[in-house]
Amino acid sequence: MLFVLPAALYVVIFQLGPVLYGLVLSFSEYSPIKRSGPEFIGLDNYRALLDDPEFGRALLVTGRYVLQVLPFTVVIALVLAMLCNRSFRGVGFFRTAMYVPHIVSLTAVSMIWLWIYSDNGVVNELLGLFGLPEQRWLADEDAALNAASAMRVWKALGSNMVLLLAGLQTVPRDLYEAARVDGANAWRQFLAVTLPGLRPMLTYVLAMDIIYLAQGFSEIFVLTQGGPYGSTTTVNYLIYTEAFQYNQMGSASAMAFVLFAFIAGLSVIAIRFSQGRKA
Amino acid sequence: MRRAQRSMSAALAGCLTAMALSACGGEPPSGTETAGGPLTVWFPGNAEAEMKLVNETIVPAFEKASGTDVEITYVDWEEMSPKLNAAFAAGTAPDVIGHGVAATADLAANDRVEDLTPYVAKLPASDREDLKSALDGGVVGGKQYIAPLIMTLRMLVYSGADFKEAGLDPDAPPKTWAEVRAAAEKLTKREGGMITRAGLIMPSNPISIQQSYATLLWSHGGDFLTPDGKKSALTSPEAVAALEYLTGLYQGAQAVDNTLGTEWGGSPHAQQPIVTGEASMQLSSSGDIKKYQDAGPDRDLRLIPPPAVEGHEARSFGGAANGLMINKDSVQKDQAWAFITHMLQPETSVAYAEALGVLPARASAVDSAYVSKNPELKKAVESLPAAKGNPNVVGWVQMRHAMGQSLERALHGKTPPAEALKQAAAEMDKIIASSS
Repeated sequence: MLFVLPAALYVVIFQLGPVLYGLVLSFSEYSPIKRSGPEFIGLDNYRALLDDPEFGRALLVTGRYVLQVLPFTVVIALVLAMLCNRSFRGVGFFRTAMYVPHIVSLTAVSMIWLWIYSDNGVVNELLGLFGLPEQRWLADEDAALNAASAMRVWKALGSNMVLLLAGLQTVPRDLYEAARVDGANAWRQFLAVTLPGLRPMLTYVLAMDIIYLAQGFSEIFVLTQGGPYGSTTTVNYLIYTEAFQYNQMGSASAMAFVLFAFIAGLSVIAIRFSQGRKA
Repeated sequence: MRRAQRSMSAALAGCLTAMALSACGGEPPSGTETAGGPLTVWFPGNAEAEMKLVNETIVPAFEKASGTDVEITYVDWEEMSPKLNAAFAAGTAPDVIGHGVAATADLAANDRVEDLTPYVAKLPASDREDLKSALDGGVVGGKQYIAPLIMTLRMLVYSGADFKEAGLDPDAPPKTWAEVRAAAEKLTKREGGMITRAGLIMPSNPISIQQSYATLLWSHGGDFLTPDGKKSALTSPEAVAALEYLTGLYQGAQAVDNTLGTEWGGSPHAQQPIVTGEASMQLSSSGDIKKYQDAGPDRDLRLIPPPAVEGHEARSFGGAANGLMINKDSVQKDQAWAFITHMLQPETSVAYAEALGVLPARASAVDSAYVSKNPELKKAVESLPAAKGNPNVVGWVQMRHAMGQSLERALHGKTPPAEALKQAAAEMDKIIASSS
């Protein structure tokens, strides 16, 4: 017991403690610049969220963001992982190059994409080469979240690819040989051998992506600051403004716990979906 | 063993409960508890010239004269409020707090900053008079809470070269907003339906949009709040007319601004549209004029005194900007005030404004070498009486945010101006009600 005490204390003080405090705050009214401490107000913060159109919209934006990034980032990463699972000249360089975006800070990457999406940026220059008019990628309500999503797909590909590659390499080779002997073509092998073998890793990738994407903040903060007129305001960005611009810590904590439930719900659906296919 | 485990679990549970209870318990520890320690000062921003001047000249001079040890921290603007609030909660806020005037009302309402009125009263009458415009901007509810160090004023920068090219007289710039609009149409260049050179651009990113609108709103005779500050005044005909003027810059065949929603205000001076030739008139902080002129010498850049709207006085967003406050819990209030008065000394004040490239807090600075050697900067200082600041009321930051979203919708043509203002007014009224 003594050996686990330091780790247990670390978990309790630095991980469970803040979470518990956040939960307490979500039932309180608290501003750090007020001299009084948190004041217990029961479920008022949660009730207020039900009537808050900005929060409802932020949930929808967050859901849309997750759902439009997730399929691309998983499917493209799977294709890349299958490519990297073969032996060809330069495969090591290819794997490394694909992984680089993952090790660069999301904030730094967002700054680069801010330039890429600017009026005189690379994307508009490319459009110009084909005689197409330039677009306001981050200033247009319909384009801004898509632009952020495209950046996030690029950012997440490398890590997903590496994880799925690791998963692919655990699939026994003799299963493919047996399938071939049974006359299975490449597509059948993919459906009958690759996908079932990858299921545990796919489930992990899906769950982790949902968790990270639903907490999208840095890229939104750098690229759009939640705009134009709130069209890219994710729940996490709204929590930031509520807590640090308006000093409404109680309300921000309530949002954080609703977001927690939202992420847990999406993750459970994704895991059930994976397990269901197995069954 | 099982008993030991139970004891450990109980201890952990107790620890957790104690943490939660202590976190919820009453008033947080207050004040700077370093009596006799260094005087702690937080400055917002991290401009290199400002840090060099403060670190190498202003602070050493003050330390030598007062015998007080000063510890300066520069905090990025974006992080100033979160860090300050956390420091208040933890009881580690600095003795002297530098911030924007917009933050003052909330800090004063929560009894976090010292009433400086008695300190200001002790200043020589000549200093009070010289600093009057700046000091007036730091008053909340009749009390002085912040001593502004600099002034700001939004003015239209124009290119004399573009004026000549468009057949306009650069020595007779527009005097009214109607004339500004007419000139902008002549100055705008188009190619295949696209604007290639904007006649007039105004900042339209989320925070600046409110400041751009403020200039037009006040020039049209409108205001954000009713005189008693208890309701929004954004549904007035003047407010609607001002927003229609602003939206007209971006919409329709005669649009003159192609920068809607883009962030150019924070770009380096050499990349500002007025310097690169992408715009012929640009609403900017007038203190930047010298930097613009240095970055684009061939553009013949000048300032237009704040234009008026017929029947109304010329008004522009500005007034007192960044300033210093004293932490209510500081145990070194006298030293803190001594530092503030040192910053307000005529020579220090002008040197500080010059380092930041802004307008000085003292009226007498118009005769200083920094201002008098540049006719355009002199024009800016002389235009300061037209400056008007945002309301210094609790919840203003929240109101500005709510308003910004409605203004953006109108500018993008998603909501008609009158409807957008109705929505903004409703949001503002809600915030006012919850703040009172």
